[in-house]
Amino acid sequence: MVYWHLFRKSFAINMQYRLSHLINNAASAIFGFVYIAIWTGVLTGKEQKSPYSILDMTYYMGASQCILWMTVFLTAGLGIQLGVRNGAISIELARPVSYYFYVVSQEGGRIAYNALFRSLPIGLIFSLTVGFYVPSHWTTLVYSLLSLLLAIGISLNIFYLIGISSCWTTEISWSWAHFIILTLMFSLGGQMVPLTFLPEFLSQLAKWLPFAGVVYYPVLIFLEKADHSVLILQTGWLLVLLFANHGITAAARQKVEIQGG
Amino acid sequence: MIEARQLTKSFKIYPSKPGILNSMRSLFSAKYEIKHAVDSISFKIDEGEFVGYIGPNGAGKSTTIKMLSGILHPSSGTATVLGIDPQKERKELARNIGIVFGQRTQLWWDLPVKDSFEILKAMYKIDEQDYRHFLKQYDDILEIGRFLETPVRKLSLGQRMRADLAAAMIHNPSVLFLDEPTIGLDVVAKKNIREFLKEMNISHQKTIILTTHDMDDIEQLCSRVIVINQGKTVLDGSLEQLKNHIGLPSILKVLYDEHVNPKNISGVEKIEQNGSELTILYDRSKITSPALLQEISQWGTPKDIQMKEPDIEEVIQNFY
Amino acid sequence: MKLYIKLVSASIRSRMQYKMNFVFSMVSYGIVMMIDFLMLAAILNRFNEVKGWNLYEVGILYGISSVSLSLYRTVAPEIHEFEKYMIEGEFDSLLIRPVSPLVLLLSKNLDLSRIGGALQGMIIIALSLYHISHTHSITMLLIYLPVILVCGWIISFSLALVTATIAFWTQRIKDFQTFTLYAPFNAANYPMNIYPGWLKFIFFTVIPVAFINYVPMLFLLNKGGSIYYLLLPVLVALLFFYLASAFWNFGIRFYHSTGT
Repeated sequence: MVYWHLFRKSFAINMQYRLSHLINNAASAIFGFVYIAIWTGVLTGKEQKSPYSILDMTYYMGASQCILWMTVFLTAGLGIQLGVRNGAISIELARPVSYYFYVVSQEGGRIAYNALFRSLPIGLIFSLTVGFYVPSHWTTLVYSLLSLLLAIGISLNIFYLIGISSCWTTEISWSWAHFIILTLMFSLGGQMVPLTFLPEFLSQLAKWLPFAGVVYYPVLIFLEKADHSVLILQTGWLLVLLFANHGITAAARQKVEIQGG
Repeated sequence: MIEARQLTKSFKIYPSKPGILNSMRSLFSAKYEIKHAVDSISFKIDEGEFVGYIGPNGAGKSTTIKMLSGILHPSSGTATVLGIDPQKERKELARNIGIVFGQRTQLWWDLPVKDSFEILKAMYKIDEQDYRHFLKQYDDILEIGRFLETPVRKLSLGQRMRADLAAAMIHNPSVLFLDEPTIGLDVVAKKNIREFLKEMNISHQKTIILTTHDMDDIEQLCSRVIVINQGKTVLDGSLEQLKNHIGLPSILKVLYDEHVNPKNISGVEKIEQNGSELTILYDRSKITSPALLQEISQWGTPKDIQMKEPDIEEVIQNFY
Repeated sequence: MKLYIKLVSASIRSRMQYKMNFVFSMVSYGIVMMIDFLMLAAILNRFNEVKGWNLYEVGILYGISSVSLSLYRTVAPEIHEFEKYMIEGEFDSLLIRPVSPLVLLLSKNLDLSRIGGALQGMIIIALSLYHISHTHSITMLLIYLPVILVCGWIISFSLALVTATIAFWTQRIKDFQTFTLYAPFNAANYPMNIYPGWLKFIFFTVIPVAFINYVPMLFLLNKGGSIYYLLLPVLVALLFFYLASAFWNFGIRFYHSTGT
């Protein structure tokens, strides 16, 4: 199966840099410690005013720091824009495999690598220092895994959408789009500030957007603080994005064929 | 003028094994092998000499040039260039030598050529009059005036090399180190560069050391050749001596439709036979290619003919 | 100096060839940092303070840390991107000039788009000072602020130089930068007293970001610091700069003896 092959190749490519990635993991953990320290400082003596306790926030930050490497720190535009700029995309579109799965399976390999060599070690650091949440019921693990997979799916599709849009945009407006999406994933994804703490209006809005499905909901499900119905919201967004990408890939194919590459 | 005495450069090589644990271990292990990139090389080059410094890839050519210019420090031995020790007075030496690395430009990528020159003018503290004279002189011989206003990234490879050569001459150095200045250029561009170098050497008495892979560079430019292989000098002498020593054969590969019986032809040094394929090594100064072609077509009907110009790489590998 | 001006003006001209790109990146750095701060503001707005520091006091810390880092990023992009000199073997071409490699690197490029980050920091400082001025006297703070910013700039430059020097041995430094620059400067956005002991130890010694803003502000914002705390950033900046350049020179000597 060609996609499985691509998946494994890209996993192997990342393996070469694992030593320097391990150093980066320590830095990632420090980011986590900084956020935990801020929340501890903020909530000390004020826990009754907050829906989350200090311990909750510690677990939240630990888990979100891990999940970032699987859902937010993906390759910009999944690298599609590079192929568009140097013209390689016309060859890639002409291959007898689905372009969408060709791109996505390569990124999938990288995500699998990140899960093993970034998320897992970072999670270990947290569990040895400040502790890592253990769900009270085993079904939570199942739901968390499901939510995580949906989050990865949503994120892959958002990045794909941005990447493939480079067929129509200039380099500059493309970078804008990438930059805006990344900022939205950080802020409206609830990476540092759980959405409940945002100003009322923003908080209500953000809960319905796809960005919440990328970090916020998987973390809450793992911490057993969200209803399982959010999985439906995640699934809904994933389907919308899949549908959009299907259409836009066809349009891109047409555009490239007309231009002759 | 330029002197190397027992110049040696050795590197430690830590053998790395696959796997995380092993690569971690090799970070701390004391086990290493010593590789001599340059192995006690000595030579003396006088003013106005044009020396071809040749050898296969990884023979230590670039390492020697880097030691002579002060970029690398020798592990043992010493060098003197213009009476200056490159290791101790690198900046002082930099004012008096010009260096060109053919593989990469030393100009400012996004700036017009002229701006690069002006930065160098400030860097080497060149006064206005000398600078104007420089622009005029190099426009005459390298025609740099045509692309002075063009950003370097938009120059063709040949133009870029001309600009790089001019840039290396801006402070009027008396010694030039050229590392592969003709690499990747087309025939016309190569010819331009060679003419320029010849003029620099003859009319301006510049001392030049040139490394190259192109046998024609050597034949047309160098009065003296130093050949190194695996860090050691294998020949230091005139172009004639080099030719006598290794022959510098051109190569002709011919595939016949049947087995043939080759005869001896004057000017042909060696014929290797492999089934119906012949590999003929010959000296172009003794027999021209058309004449040779005529001879070989009498032995049988050639199906395919390939010509190869002598490649230093191969020639030297074959002989040592 | 004349050479430096010439080189810098040349680099600005080459940047200007991509005008749109320049404006875009300048605005975007400003925005991304602004959103980060707004997140913090959202928390502090709700909970009033963190370990005795209110939003505007934290804002000053935050602003100083952003301005310091952005000024360094503006002045020394080639130090920040130093690994490319090792990976692509470009470092040789710095050693054939009659000028020191550090001067060449600094003069090779200016990243003016990073000024967006510095502006954002200045705006946060100005807003915070305005609010604080209702309750405190800020004259002393205003007078001393330039010194603090210059020290912060020197400390961040020195940290970056140390990180760049590591490239002589490891080639790649991107992953180290997260460790020595991004994470510590992110931490320095907030008061040091919120951190556990071991983190504090790091930020007061090997990666001394505490001296960029926290230490002088303990005195200037009446949080129990003595007037001598004002001297500390200067001393730390000088000492650290000295150590960083010594390490850099040691790295160059190592390069001379090994190459790449």
